[in-house]
Amino acid sequence: MAAMRARHKIRAPKRGVSKKTEDFDSIWTDLSSFLTGINTKEYASLEYEDIYRLAYKIVLMMRAPDLYENVKQLEQNWLQTSVQAIVTDSISASLIRAEKSTDAQDQSSERREEGEKFLTALKVAWEDYQFGMGMVADVLLYMDRMVRSHDHPPIYVVCMSLFRDHILRSSIRPSSNLTVLDILESTILFMIQLERSGHLIERPLIRHCIQMLEGLYETLTEEESSKLYLTVFEPAFLNTSKEFYRAEGQRLLEIGDATTFCRLTTQRISEEQERCRFMLSTATEPKVLDLLDSELIRANIEEVVNLEGTGVRHMLDHHQLDGLRNVYVLNRRVDNKKSALTKAVQKRIVEMGKEVNASSILLPQAPAPAEKDDESEKKPEKAKDKEKPQNQQTVAAIRWVDDVLALKKKFDDIRANSFSSDQGIQASIGASFAEFINLNPRNSEYLSLFFDENLKKGIKGKTESEVDALLDNGITLLRYIKDKDLFESYYKKHLSRRLLMKRSASMDAERQMISKMKMEVGNQFTQRLESMFKDMTISEDLTANYKEYVARNGDPDQKPVDLEVNVLTSTMWPMEIMSNVKEGTVRLPCIFPREIDALKQSFERFYLDKHSGRKLSWQANMGTGDIRATFIRPNGKVQRYELNVSTHALIILLLFNDVPDGESLTFDDIKNRTLIPDHDLIRNLQSLAVAPKTRVLKKNPMSKDVKPTDAFSFNHEFHSPFVKVRIGVVSGGANKVENKDQRKDTEKKMNDERNGSIEAAIVRIMKQRKKLTHSQLMTETLSQLSARFVPDVNMIKRRIESLIDREYLERVSEEPPTYGYVA
Amino acid sequence: MSGPTSEYVTLVSRDGFEFIIPRNVACVSGTIRRMLDPSSKFSEGLTGRCVLDEFPGMVLEKVCEYLCYNDKHKNDINVPDMDIPPELCLELLMAADYLDV
Repeated sequence: MAAMRARHKIRAPKRGVSKKTEDFDSIWTDLSSFLTGINTKEYASLEYEDIYRLAYKIVLMMRAPDLYENVKQLEQNWLQTSVQAIVTDSISASLIRAEKSTDAQDQSSERREEGEKFLTALKVAWEDYQFGMGMVADVLLYMDRMVRSHDHPPIYVVCMSLFRDHILRSSIRPSSNLTVLDILESTILFMIQLERSGHLIERPLIRHCIQMLEGLYETLTEEESSKLYLTVFEPAFLNTSKEFYRAEGQRLLEIGDATTFCRLTTQRISEEQERCRFMLSTATEPKVLDLLDSELIRANIEEVVNLEGTGVRHMLDHHQLDGLRNVYVLNRRVDNKKSALTKAVQKRIVEMGKEVNASSILLPQAPAPAEKDDESEKKPEKAKDKEKPQNQQTVAAIRWVDDVLALKKKFDDIRANSFSSDQGIQASIGASFAEFINLNPRNSEYLSLFFDENLKKGIKGKTESEVDALLDNGITLLRYIKDKDLFESYYKKHLSRRLLMKRSASMDAERQMISKMKMEVGNQFTQRLESMFKDMTISEDLTANYKEYVARNGDPDQKPVDLEVNVLTSTMWPMEIMSNVKEGTVRLPCIFPREIDALKQSFERFYLDKHSGRKLSWQANMGTGDIRATFIRPNGKVQRYELNVSTHALIILLLFNDVPDGESLTFDDIKNRTLIPDHDLIRNLQSLAVAPKTRVLKKNPMSKDVKPTDAFSFNHEFHSPFVKVRIGVVSGGANKVENKDQRKDTEKKMNDERNGSIEAAIVRIMKQRKKLTHSQLMTETLSQLSARFVPDVNMIKRRIESLIDREYLERVSEEPPTYGYVA
Repeated sequence: MSGPTSEYVTLVSRDGFEFIIPRNVACVSGTIRRMLDPSSKFSEGLTGRCVLDEFPGMVLEKVCEYLCYNDKHKNDINVPDMDIPPELCLELLMAADYLDV
């Protein structure tokens, strides 16, 4: 290759035929006239190539630095002599005066006009200059390329800094310290102030001036952070904004209307966003919003939320979703946890919840204030009177649940609509609900009653999904209840009544309910409830089997009596609640009349054949029987009725089979011959002899209360429009709110059960850990039990003591207190 | 074939040769690009006609050839070498410097 090249002769570059003399000064003269042409906008004669070539030539002469300096000087002169004058002339005296006073409102229209004039002049000067410098930089491209290597910034940058120093930083009047930049700043701020107070201003003009500030830098290296906009204007802007919004916050608070506050604040936010986007710089947007957040919102939100009469409380009460949404959005801006709003909402929920609680307590007492003593102790004689307030209490219980559900729905609505389904708020709403629900000591009972009522009657005629929603609602409340074990025991009690008395409207719904509870609270919780259902199914089979058995080897001489038996596992069913027996008293089985007794023995034979080793105990107070009774009217007519009565009543009535007409049995007689417990006996006699519609027996003397001395006889004048008569037991079967004694009972049982659970939990933990400090043991126990109830710390301590006494645990060391497991 | 918005521009050599090439091809040169910048008020930008007094036609032809060659292969790799007559290479180097190619 080298050889090949050598053959060709390389043409020497020919210089253009230049008519001009080739020395620096003459070329510069030409060049400077062109540059002045650019400055004065006489573009017609300008040919890029000409100027470029001139500069090119100078650079080729190695005089680039000289050219650079000359151009710089030329532009500086140009700025000082003509541009500066135009700009400073446009500044009127009033603008200078106004610069000193920050009060925007005085002579606003005059100042505004003057300001616009000034801004326009400055803008025109800047744009012309910038454009000209663009062209200069273009034609001096070759020079730039040469000198940049010598540590000189490009000519364009230098020229920009010239503008900065000789226009913006120049004094407006020879005598004044004020610079054009000062005036510019104050004028723009003034304009913004005007806009904030609702005037229309020349946005594009300001935008241009801002762009100018953005295009100019403090230093020649043009770092992003040294923009004049950032170093000079933005801090000033933020300062004014801060003051403005502090005052604005005060002003809005004085108006004292939360809705207005939120609306205006939201409006301000969008205004500032828009302002930054269209007039200032997008970089300022987060800064000014930040400022707005802290000055306007953070400083005031709490007061706004709590404003009397218009605050969050008012909005909640009047369902002002938009207002709440505004508050929410504002609060979210300054506080991720939205604590001010959350607090207010929580407070209101608890307040409303307390109202609900209070009204549920007040309601039953209002109509029967005189019967106070009835509330405190249950007098059997007054059982009938008691029914009323008790019923009302049941209603109150259900109303309580309904109210709570309504409240819950309301807040769910609000949350979904106004708080964009915020998770944090949901949690705190939940917490508040839990708080007030647990303030009601009867929560579990009420809720269980609610389920009871709905499963008995409520769900009739409702679609599946409605039932589903209803149960779900109830389950939601269950979630808030702390003492789930208490609920379980109530539910068990109510469920057992529903099952045994066949009061449940739909077994499907019952099962659904159980499975829902299982999902919510866990397996352990529903275990017993499920086994109750299992018992019911097994009993059905058993009854069927027994019928077959009777049919096969039944005694033909017996009158056939249909028997339907429910065999229940005693540990799973709330026996103690059903049998109404206080602990410690031995309960004698009541004496069945021979018809029944035979039946009973026959079933026992049948059952024990199948399952040897089991013990059957008959719960007569839970059963019912159908009896066909014959009434002989005084006129000799015979009237038959089928009576559906409780087992006890059945026994009582059968007694009268053996009593001759017209004779009577005293209370004591009946009691001795049946051994029915007093309590049940009284209730049954009441329903048989006192209740006006079902008076099968006559009582002497006739009174509402049953006394031991009363005598009873068969009432042949019994009359009823129906052939089948159902005789309920007074205040027995229905599920009612408990009275105080019962409550104490339940609580006591609850406590016992809890003690058991606590001990079991402690032993489980210790068996696994062998050795554990006191505090660790506490926490573990609490966490294990929290799904069912919240145990009292003292209770756990006592259990630990008792376990140590019984030598399950031992104290291993005192410091820190530590326990060991004794195998 | 000319004007500030035309797709083609005309390059004129010292000795009067005119080369008409696409605008985007010509604008590979920084100098020509600035010369033609429609937002500036230079006459070249207004007419779309650049008189390059510095170069004879022979050099300008080679320059235009290079500009087209550059455009043709701008997305390729393994571009074949362009044929440069050795006797022109010094002048071409100077042209390249002048035109900022």
